[in-house]
Amino acid sequence: MMTRNFSTLPLVALLTLVSLPLMVMYGFLILDTVTDAPPGELWPDRFTLEHWRFLFDTSVVGNVWQAAGNSLILALSMMVIVLSLSTTAAYAISRLHLPYRRLFLGGILVMHAFPAVTLLIGVFFVLNFTGLYNSMIGVILVKGALMLPFGIWIMKGFYDAVPWEIEMAGVQDGASRFTVWRRLILPQVKPGLVALGVFSFLDGWGEYLLPRILAPGSEMTVLSVFLNELIAGDQLGFDFNLFKSVGVFYTLPVVLLFIIFQDRLMNIFGGGTKG
Amino acid sequence: MVAPAILLLLAFFFTPVMLTGVFAFTDMSTSTGIGRGSYVVTPTTLRRLGDRGLGADDAEAISAASYAVDEAGLAAARDAGTDAAFLADIEERLTGETFETARDFELALRDLPSAPRSPRALKSAADLFGQSLVNHRFETRDELAEALAAHAPDVAEEMREALTDDAYTGAVFTTENFTRLATQPETGRLIANTALYVGATLSLFNVGLGLFLALVLFYMPKPVTGLFSTLWLLPRITPVVLYTIMWKWFTWEDGFLPILAEQLGLPAFNYMKGSVVTAWMTMISLNGFIGASFGLILFSGALRAIPLQQLWASEVDGASRLQQIRRVILPQLRWPILFVTSYQTLSLLSSYEHIWLTTNGGPGRTTTVWALEAFKTALSNYSGNLEYGLGAAMALVLVVVGLALSILYLRLFRFGDLVGRPRIEF
Repeated sequence: MMTRNFSTLPLVALLTLVSLPLMVMYGFLILDTVTDAPPGELWPDRFTLEHWRFLFDTSVVGNVWQAAGNSLILALSMMVIVLSLSTTAAYAISRLHLPYRRLFLGGILVMHAFPAVTLLIGVFFVLNFTGLYNSMIGVILVKGALMLPFGIWIMKGFYDAVPWEIEMAGVQDGASRFTVWRRLILPQVKPGLVALGVFSFLDGWGEYLLPRILAPGSEMTVLSVFLNELIAGDQLGFDFNLFKSVGVFYTLPVVLLFIIFQDRLMNIFGGGTKG
Repeated sequence: MVAPAILLLLAFFFTPVMLTGVFAFTDMSTSTGIGRGSYVVTPTTLRRLGDRGLGADDAEAISAASYAVDEAGLAAARDAGTDAAFLADIEERLTGETFETARDFELALRDLPSAPRSPRALKSAADLFGQSLVNHRFETRDELAEALAAHAPDVAEEMREALTDDAYTGAVFTTENFTRLATQPETGRLIANTALYVGATLSLFNVGLGLFLALVLFYMPKPVTGLFSTLWLLPRITPVVLYTIMWKWFTWEDGFLPILAEQLGLPAFNYMKGSVVTAWMTMISLNGFIGASFGLILFSGALRAIPLQQLWASEVDGASRLQQIRRVILPQLRWPILFVTSYQTLSLLSSYEHIWLTTNGGPGRTTTVWALEAFKTALSNYSGNLEYGLGAAMALVLVVVGLALSILYLRLFRFGDLVGRPRIEF
């Protein structure tokens, strides 16, 4: 233990001061969903559950459950794409003698570092030519593809950590490389799979830009677009307490997943995300 | 095993890059459409050609209608509800004939037994058989050339060529986008805005605040550290739409800050959009809070990796905390700091989602950065004319910068170490 040759209190005060905007924003985010304040006042004066009426009454903002369902479809299908493609591809580049392996790995790394949002205009052209513009399938494929370099890179890290001896023992006993991968290696990288799966689910759940731009006319409105339409739509006035309630409803799964998988996620949060 | 991944990456990484590169050199926009255009001679085309020496007679000849009784004309007349007996007469007696002027054709029609009495009905029936090049859509260049040759053979060959070129509605290749970017004064301001945005966010928040938080929390007792780490992680995991709504609540009139300011007697207005200075402050801090948490996570990891013995040793030697930080800790954080700086430069350069959802580049265009402008030019603006070509040119600049920087960073962070060779030979 280190000595305390400094005073903690001023520093804690400074820390609190710096963090104050966040504390206020997140504090009131929760508070405002169950209270009402008189106009022009900061502090609420009464408790109410009225803001949560949208859960049962579709006349308030529309059908949130359907939007949530659509978000779930987007996030899950993207997760499946990212998981299946990156576990296979990462194994191949981690362990197999591929032609151009170095080039491929370099490409993956460049793509990982490369800011994918700048490709949006190009992606828009591709979707237009392939007829996938304005469809959720297009959005899912694009979202999956953009996340793939990250997924492959993370999974490669997990594969690299598996001892070669396991693999050699399997090969020695006469198993094919495929069997070795499926029966011996996959169980070893399960923590990576879980982390990547949760991470890509969260990424898909939070995505706003792609569905909004690449499928503006789609029947499937996802929750993020739904929520932003509320505030952009203007017809409700600016009932921030309502927006916040819908927002909390939208973010609840994220927080839950995060609490459950916190330790595993922190592993890849450090090296991974952009923003 | 890598094939599906490669396929998807080719489709949505490689092809977009190529297409951005190609379309950056076109004038593609909403009016030209995406894909192949067609050939249409419009009155505007003729007027433009007139400025380039197309004689009035020639223009007249091209736009003049001729009248031919054929399948298409009959079908058009039938659809328009022309009297059936009259139509039968036309079909029987005049099929295959052509007339140079409206007058000739109307005379011929009047002679038919069941022709309508009124000259107006006669004229509108005649119009249905009129054929004109003008405003007719030709799918290929040859079709238009042929029609022109047949219709106005007296017009000089070169003039017909020029007309065909001009009649093309699709996108054409041009370097116009880059000349425009290089010459317009707007470009300078975009670059200045982008530099200010990236520089300020990076130095104040991503690195500055991130480092401050990491260092302070490193020395704090565990409960304090846990509380603040969680708090600073929140902006990172909050979905972007909710995060921007919170900032709107925080800064808009009737929101938190303006109400607070009013109670304190300070000027209260919409801080996000009301003035240039506050708009910048809002934009930088709302992006910076997310960036700071990235820095915090990374620097905390690096701090924990420093052997504690070094810190003890410095304390035994009587170093104060500040000396400890300056002489022992910071030198060892050089690589993490470099990493955060380079990595976040790239993502700040290209990010516009938060800006788009909050200040949207306003007030006026004062907080518009390069990436946002490219995005708005090509994909989202209110004027309705999306300039894909120009937007692609602007995106291409970012793509080139992005590629160059990411390759540079890979060199910097020793890519070679990351690619060891496999140890089983099949």
